[in-house]
Amino acid sequence: MIDLFKRLFKVAFAEWKLFYTDPAAVLLLVVAGVLYAFYYPTPYMKQTATDVPVAVVDLDHTVMSRELTQMSAAAQQIDVRYVFSDVREAEEAMANEKIYGFMVIPQDMEKTLRNGGKTNVNVFTHGAYVMLHGNIGTAFTTCALTVGATTKVKRIALGKKVPAAKAIAMRDPIPISVQTMYNNTGSYSNYVVPSVLVLILQQTLVIGICILGGARAHRKFRKLQRDSSVENELMPYRYFGRSLAYFLHYCSFILFYHFVVYNVFEFPRRGEILPMVAFAIVFLFSVINFGMVLSQVFLRRETSMQLFLYMSIPILFLSNFSWPTELIPAWMKGFSCLLPSTFAIPAWLAIEQRGADIYDAASLLLPLAMQAVFYLLLGLVLTNLRDGSKLKTGDM
Amino acid sequence: MFIDFFRAIRKIYISHNIVLWLVLLILPVVTSVFMVNFFSAEIIQHVPIGLLKQDRSQLADKVEMALRADPVLEVAVECNDRSECEHAVIRGDLQAFVVLPFDMERRALRLETPVIPVYSSGQNYLTNTFAVKEIRSVISSIGADLFTKQMDDPIHVELKSVSNNSGNYQGFLGLGLVTAIFHLAGILAAVYLFSFPFRDHRVREFLKAAGGSRVVLGAATVLPLVVIQWLSMVAVYAYARRALTPMTFDEFVVVSAGQLAMILACSGAGAAFVGITGNMRMSSSVAGVIAGPAFAFAGQTFPVMAMPLVVRGFAFLLPLTHVLKVQSAMLLGSVGKAHAWESIVVLLFMALFWHLLASKLLMLRWKVAEEKEADWEAREKLHLKDKLKNIAGTVYSDLSIRKAVASEIAKRKLHKGGAND
Repeated sequence: MIDLFKRLFKVAFAEWKLFYTDPAAVLLLVVAGVLYAFYYPTPYMKQTATDVPVAVVDLDHTVMSRELTQMSAAAQQIDVRYVFSDVREAEEAMANEKIYGFMVIPQDMEKTLRNGGKTNVNVFTHGAYVMLHGNIGTAFTTCALTVGATTKVKRIALGKKVPAAKAIAMRDPIPISVQTMYNNTGSYSNYVVPSVLVLILQQTLVIGICILGGARAHRKFRKLQRDSSVENELMPYRYFGRSLAYFLHYCSFILFYHFVVYNVFEFPRRGEILPMVAFAIVFLFSVINFGMVLSQVFLRRETSMQLFLYMSIPILFLSNFSWPTELIPAWMKGFSCLLPSTFAIPAWLAIEQRGADIYDAASLLLPLAMQAVFYLLLGLVLTNLRDGSKLKTGDM
Repeated sequence: MFIDFFRAIRKIYISHNIVLWLVLLILPVVTSVFMVNFFSAEIIQHVPIGLLKQDRSQLADKVEMALRADPVLEVAVECNDRSECEHAVIRGDLQAFVVLPFDMERRALRLETPVIPVYSSGQNYLTNTFAVKEIRSVISSIGADLFTKQMDDPIHVELKSVSNNSGNYQGFLGLGLVTAIFHLAGILAAVYLFSFPFRDHRVREFLKAAGGSRVVLGAATVLPLVVIQWLSMVAVYAYARRALTPMTFDEFVVVSAGQLAMILACSGAGAAFVGITGNMRMSSSVAGVIAGPAFAFAGQTFPVMAMPLVVRGFAFLLPLTHVLKVQSAMLLGSVGKAHAWESIVVLLFMALFWHLLASKLLMLRWKVAEEKEADWEAREKLHLKDKLKNIAGTVYSDLSIRKAVASEIAKRKLHKGGAND
């Protein structure tokens, strides 16, 4: 038994040493995990987009339209930079990206409202910017509807001959109160970065395993050590020993993200110890075995990097982080079940961001555990097959 | 010269393995089409929400029916208590839940304005925005029907996203993602094409195919790359764009010109990375670090103006930022044309800079590699000569041993025969 552990740890230590001595491995398994964790969130340092430049096209030029303009200027999300009298001027400003949206106050708005009529206020936003569309739309809509609400309350009070307080209650008898949980400031980084961190772990680990040839024996790039006993241990020792090295190395990354990266970028840390440990074990075993399977496919070390760089964007979106799973085409949903991140990202968000306990996390971790077992079996079979074949091309 | 040019193209592009075509054409096209189809539902619908009905009145039933009838929302769970809904939100099964409080109808009719709490998970920012907006709209319209059914809202706000009226996600994100994928592809394919002769020690072979001219080799490497990627990008972009307002011919020309300039800049950058690092693994890593997360820096999801100053500088250096500006300006129709040309000029300057840098560095690298390969070949020949000599020696000594053994056996046989006699 002791000999078994000795041999296992010998293989693990030799592989771990390689993480720091092989230039390609250092870049992927050490530098990339740290670099990306700080590099990726930097655009979102300010967390929210406030004071978005906008304009108001005032075709009414009345007290009420000026009131609406002032109200818009006071909104936190937008900054009214220009007040135009012509829609064309606003369109040109938007084309030059001086503004990202504008509100058109129609001619005779005040007159229409005072005469008991109704009017349309149009808000235009730039079709290419998804986030600004929401911010500008919310700010202008709130201001316009507030003016509308005031008018409506007056009408109710006069029409139904009730006091103002009652008129307010009649206008909106069942008001709603929205409690935004887990990201109450609407931080964009809090929304995107935690998911991306899990993806960074997965991608660097899978590419790293592929670059180091998984559990292969006689790896050509090892040159002097090609025929050493550690390099060519029995297949199960090689497979599990190297997996152990990756597991321990990436456990340190999870701790680093939890204690350092989350602190630096002020992301909420609600993860409890037990679900976090369960997540680390299941997620890493799933990804390591996934990597061990894929590593048997490539002939050259860098090919995995070139191919996986393309996959990052689809893999991220397939994890249900921004687009509801129900809206994804069925075949894509089926394909996504092959990827650890599809289950790992929602599990990580539930545990770390929303504080899921072990019971809540269990249902999310089960598919990952099943993946880990499936890829483990496949990995062992493929490694065994690969050991038997003598490939002459490539550097693995 | 033309014969050399085409011979070099054949050597680089035709007589090569599948990885080149995967990096150059298959993966960019497949992943782009994949991303466009990913948003095939076009708008956010069926956001799962929960409902906790503490009030069992007609008004509560009305609210429930209205929520169930709304296409954006889907009442996935009717909870028995608050904790059930809370845990469903924690697990990610629900985006939000609405609590219809005890005595809601009675208090509403008494004008006591009972507040309806809506708990939503802000973790998923975009879905949350849509869900909350929709819940608010559904409940306020039911509320308005209670006392002021005949009284319309005096101000009606219409929110229009220019050239993307329905808020189609294929337009919002799909187009940007297609461009981001080709931005990465431009750099990665150039890295692959310029670095594999170094990796496989085939620089002399390629130079020979190009008639010994490094300029011809450079042109034969980069031109087909640019043409193939540009045409495939234009085709995929047109496919992604089909859901939005159709482009006029002028707009199509401007957008295509912007995309061509981007591919030129990216291929130049990729070639320059190879010139700087000198090997495929390092240059692929550099390309990955820069172009991998480029979409996050380019300003389409999170505006550049809200980024820190240094990041804004970095975003300016990315060709993707400028081509997205061209595409978004052209979404506004003819008014955006002048602004789009400014971005195209920036892209062309970038392309010029990267190609000049790349050609300077690659000329040096090719020269050094050519000399090294010649040196290796000479050494290899020498080594082969030595090897042959050794083999010949072994064979010779082997033969002489055999001869000696044979004569010894013959002698013994003779001796044996004599003894028998």
